[in-house]
Amino acid sequence: MIALLAVTFLLLGVSPRVGLSALWVGAFGDADGHLYPLSETLVKTTPLLLTGLGVVVAWRGGMFSVGAEGQLIVGATAGAAVGLWGSHLPGFLITLLVLSAGAGAGAAWGYLAGWLRVRRNVQEVISTIMLNYIALSLLGALVEGPLQEKTHRVSQSNPLPNSALLPHLFPRTWTNEIQTRLHSGILIAVFAAFVVMIYLFYTAGGFKLRVVGQNPEAARAARYEVDALRLRAMLFSGALCGLAGATELLGITGRLYKDFSPGWGYTAIPVALLGGLHPLGTLLSALFFGALTAGTGHLSRFSNVSSVLVNVIQAVAVLAFVGIRAFRNRQSGGE
Amino acid sequence: MPGASADNLPSESESKSIQVQMRGIVKRFGENLALNEVDFTVRAGEIHALLGENGAGKSTLMHILSGLLTSDSGEITLRGETASLVSPAAARKAGVAMVHQHFTLVPAFTVAENLALDIPASRLGIYSSFRAARPSFDRAEKLGWHLPASTPVSELPVGVQQRIEIIKALSTDAKVLIFDEPTAVLSGEEIKELFSVFRQLREEGCAVILIAHKLSEILAVADTVTVLRRGQGVASAPVSDVTAQTLAQWMVGENTLTSLSEKRFPDTRSRESSSEKSPALSVENVSLSGDRGETVLKSLSFAVSSSEIYGIGGVDGNGQTELAELLVGLRKTTKGSLLWKNGTFTPGHSPKIGYIPQDRRRVGLATSMSIEDNLLFDAVDEPGFRWKGLLKRKSLRQLAQVLIKKFDIRVQSSRLTTASLSGGNQQKIVVARVFRTQPELIVAMNPTRGLDIGATRFVHEQLLEARLRGAAIVLISTDLDELSFLSDKTAILSGGALTSYRSEDTSSTDLGLLLGGSREKASLRP
Repeated sequence: MIALLAVTFLLLGVSPRVGLSALWVGAFGDADGHLYPLSETLVKTTPLLLTGLGVVVAWRGGMFSVGAEGQLIVGATAGAAVGLWGSHLPGFLITLLVLSAGAGAGAAWGYLAGWLRVRRNVQEVISTIMLNYIALSLLGALVEGPLQEKTHRVSQSNPLPNSALLPHLFPRTWTNEIQTRLHSGILIAVFAAFVVMIYLFYTAGGFKLRVVGQNPEAARAARYEVDALRLRAMLFSGALCGLAGATELLGITGRLYKDFSPGWGYTAIPVALLGGLHPLGTLLSALFFGALTAGTGHLSRFSNVSSVLVNVIQAVAVLAFVGIRAFRNRQSGGE
Repeated sequence: MPGASADNLPSESESKSIQVQMRGIVKRFGENLALNEVDFTVRAGEIHALLGENGAGKSTLMHILSGLLTSDSGEITLRGETASLVSPAAARKAGVAMVHQHFTLVPAFTVAENLALDIPASRLGIYSSFRAARPSFDRAEKLGWHLPASTPVSELPVGVQQRIEIIKALSTDAKVLIFDEPTAVLSGEEIKELFSVFRQLREEGCAVILIAHKLSEILAVADTVTVLRRGQGVASAPVSDVTAQTLAQWMVGENTLTSLSEKRFPDTRSRESSSEKSPALSVENVSLSGDRGETVLKSLSFAVSSSEIYGIGGVDGNGQTELAELLVGLRKTTKGSLLWKNGTFTPGHSPKIGYIPQDRRRVGLATSMSIEDNLLFDAVDEPGFRWKGLLKRKSLRQLAQVLIKKFDIRVQSSRLTTASLSGGNQQKIVVARVFRTQPELIVAMNPTRGLDIGATRFVHEQLLEARLRGAAIVLISTDLDELSFLSDKTAILSGGALTSYRSEDTSSTDLGLLLGGSREKASLRP
């Protein structure tokens, strides 16, 4: 993988040594023990992990949802609306309200796609894309309408009360007194990974969901409630993605604005696939994508690689990873 | 080849030239030795049956001959010359073609387009699939087949699809034709026609290899038979020298047929009293609409008692699947009612239901999940395997191990996917799942289709055991022998209507008429 990245840097006219070390430093920190870059990696990991888990749950149930983006957006929007509405309440209560509103709204958005599939036989691939656009337009309309900030100049909402925001994790002494953006959302996300794992592999509902995903006909013949299981998968998946939006809101942005998501919900699909649709695999692959995002961010800031080409680097890294795994599988799998 | 009359063969038919000679073929899949030093010889102008249980290595051997697999060691000569069959293309070039059990046709393409697929297009100008496929159509006419050139393949019956597949194989001037269980998908009449094609190909000097496990078919059509058992050649002999009993014995390694028929007669005789029992399941004037709103079942009535097997025969597509799904609670009646022991019929609770669906790969199993998971479809719902909403993984795993042992499912590891198993072992998983719960009503649909003798016998024994235990069993099968062997009462479902018959008193002509749906012409005694 490193060799491939080095070749890519050469092709882009950057010294591989400089490029690779910039990537590494951006993702994990340099020799002086600055942990700030690592915190950035974890910051990027949080929404990727939560949406990735959402994709895992839906796809394991045979629902090929690409709606994580829309669910994340409605989650953040609902969270912001509830948080601003209840801004006079005590902080911890607002936090709870925002998180549950986010998860609830995401779940509802997922349920819509599930319902369309189960009752009206609308393919979820199409309906979730449409719902993504609706969510995005809704967000745009709200931050320029009812939720717009006081001065009515910028397409964004008022900030949420400080007391409601998620606490920061790294003490300043770890990072040479720089305030990191790392918030407790990562703990929520890692916890969610374990919840999803227990659900999928240690409960009857999760077992049945996997059967439905692998062969709905067999599930029907075993007299499982296929439709109900699919709806539940979409609910759960939507809730995770909505939660991703709410934690991002409470941990990073503090307010709602028009381009709230840089496409977390779309990156979630390769994250989940690279993780083998397994919750723990997704945890690792979300870390990998998080490191890559943080690393390439650093790269575009501190070398002469343009930000567009940074995407090329990301894609090469992912393809290399997938290729290496496929090669290993073929070697060990035999047949 | 070790055993039986293998050695006296060459001298008898020296006149016929040897087409294929495989010597000392070894093939391993991981730790599993699929073929162990197998020899196999086929001559020009003979129909050679390759017989063995599921998983005996027949298909593997033929995949090696047709270039789909390569052997680990061993030697193959074609017409006396050493051949290296490294790919299907190389094999076709060498004159070996295979007609697969699962067809390799493109469903949305027309017959002409499918036939033209293999033929290189001319370099100049306009491509016409009709022109490209012309020689193939001529070949078909020679066999007496008129193929509808511009009909999409998906709209044709399987029998015709198979003909297209055969023509495709012949279009490359194949001298050796391999058929992988060609009769599995065909009806009685189609099988007869296929056999006459085999004979015609034999007259033309082709070597026809037939992978099979139905003894009656081998005795009817083959000249020579080679038997494999667990990856080893057991015997090879002219068909005129063997009987069904010998073949079965070679195949399974014991005298199966007699033990089977000994078993059946006591059972048959003890049945007479069953008609006096009060029915467990009553189906009263039930009508049912299909997925597209068409009428599938027309006011059907029958009753099944406890300890009784009610056999329903007929050609697929006459309402069998819908009836089965109705009885296990997957469909609702449009008219009429179902009763269980004179109470309401609430499938799953009263009665407890066991369902062996028609198609184990498509409906019975989640083939990409592990063997263990597939055994546990119902168990995950039982309180004994749950603790506060979580599954007791350890007890579930133990249960799977117990079932694997009890139902003699031959697996390398219970963590492998069921796709890796042979059809017989796959069906055993379905059967194990069904019989574990001791269901009161069992609905079995073609439970032994595609299984070898050993696995078939196993499934039959399980059904008879369940009957002895007191289960009411509805057996839906296209195999009339199986029906008359197992059932206490028999009926034919044709065009959504049920006609009962007594297998002892009904002539085969009458049965044929019944199957074809002409009830009036069949002279039936009520």
